[in-house]
Amino acid sequence: MNQDKIKPDVVVPQISLIKTLLLMLPMMFLTFAILTQGKLPSDPKSLFAMVITYLFINATFFMLLYTGKTDKFRSIFFITYAVLFVVSFITHLIEIRGSMAVSQANMLQGETPFCHIVIPMTLIPLAFTRTIIFPGTIIGSFASIASMFVLWIGVTLALGRGFCSWGCFFGGLDDGFSRILKRPVIKNINFNWTYLPYAVLIAVVLTAAISLSPTYCAWLCPYKTVTEFVEVTSFKILMQTIIFVSLFIGLVIILPILTRRRIQCGLFCPFGAFQSFTNKINVFEVRIDKEKCVKCKRCIQACPTFSLSEEVWEKGKTRISCTKCGKCIDSCLKKAIFFHLKGTPLSGNQRIYRILFLYPAFLFLATLAGGNIQDGMMKIIRLITTGSMFIH
Amino acid sequence: MNKLKSILGYTWAFIAFFIILATFFGNERFSKVLASATGMKVSPWYTGGEVISVIDHGTYRTLVHRPVFDALIGEKREGFIQINWEPSTGIPQVIEEKIDYDKDRKEDLLIILDTSTGKATLTAYSPSIVSIERIYRLKNGWAVRIALRKPS
Repeated sequence: MNQDKIKPDVVVPQISLIKTLLLMLPMMFLTFAILTQGKLPSDPKSLFAMVITYLFINATFFMLLYTGKTDKFRSIFFITYAVLFVVSFITHLIEIRGSMAVSQANMLQGETPFCHIVIPMTLIPLAFTRTIIFPGTIIGSFASIASMFVLWIGVTLALGRGFCSWGCFFGGLDDGFSRILKRPVIKNINFNWTYLPYAVLIAVVLTAAISLSPTYCAWLCPYKTVTEFVEVTSFKILMQTIIFVSLFIGLVIILPILTRRRIQCGLFCPFGAFQSFTNKINVFEVRIDKEKCVKCKRCIQACPTFSLSEEVWEKGKTRISCTKCGKCIDSCLKKAIFFHLKGTPLSGNQRIYRILFLYPAFLFLATLAGGNIQDGMMKIIRLITTGSMFIH
Repeated sequence: MNKLKSILGYTWAFIAFFIILATFFGNERFSKVLASATGMKVSPWYTGGEVISVIDHGTYRTLVHRPVFDALIGEKREGFIQINWEPSTGIPQVIEEKIDYDKDRKEDLLIILDTSTGKATLTAYSPSIVSIERIYRLKNGWAVRIALRKPS
């Protein structure tokens, strides 16, 4: 069916202004508690950054509830979060270590922040040796290993692979680049590529178990380009650096721009592949009402992680790789796609399903992002007012 | 049955919000519980392994770690031993020390570390000693890793 000829249904799942404001109250209270942690900053610049962050969080949540659009406002927040996370993280590293490069001594002293992408690689060695194959600290430091595990377990139970669109501090980068062009330059991508992340997952899990080192982090993680990387002290590390920088340029910048898809998240990330399985044990899902669907395929083209295809349409649900970003839902003119709770009738109240999903998902995003947005903004304010992002 | 499924679905969705809340507000507590319940530690390939002996020199001390050959199952043929000196304020400019890491009352190696240049020389008295793998300048001192190979 020609997409341009489809008329949107008039019914838009909006909520009245009063109801929206009432629904916002818990989020306003919680985000205030999280951002202030019991006291307001005394420094005017920090206070300004905190107020702006607070308003940004709650304005986003308001728009999510009031307009009924999910991905449109989620993505603005998610991309801002990713950019300011990078600003905050890099400046933090330079302040404490003087460089983005992590030295062998830093690793020996357990000074490397733990990242969720390492988790699948740590599980087999943890089961066999009770050790974590990562140069971090178990508890008590910034992004310690146990705290990141707790975070991962919590979000897995609550959101499944929703983590990738509602929490991952890297995901916003390729999400952002995938929105630069209005139309994709590369349109036809063979769906067999969607098996690649599972192959990468198997490869890195096995090699990590054999070598007792996180091989994905050492060789493949493209995000090291914008966070931290091992100091180049040998030819091997130089090769690793060339590989991960090339992967960043290819998978996070160029291919997302050309395809309008999240290529790193959908076709490469082993954590994403691993997290896909957790969708099986999660209550939130995205369903298709085949009676309402006019088969325009807008959703298939919109899905940034290749989680919709004609084959899965037959089943009325997405693939397990769905990150619950809501882009397909926003793109559907007939409101034939919607958030749903497993076990409940498909004919149930879609507005309630959506709100029940948005609360944990947005709270997770706001909590993870709040500190980073606030800190990143503070660094930018400092740059504007003093000419430097760093505390001298 | 459908009604029960529906109730469970709504309940789980409702609980998801509180799981997220607990994940953040109880993170510190849950982290400690998780760490102690699993007994997880950082791999000795990064930490250097447990310290098996401490030699006190008055102004500074030498920490000898256990030899690390750990593999996923069993042991690897090649490993290392790590020796630390701390605190940095009490360490002489040149450290010269003989180490008996396997406690057989025979010295296994002699290490000379010049802390002004960060260079070290190694004399092996045991066939297991291979070479200096890496020298580290730490916040509170120095460390050296020496590559080991199990005798065949």
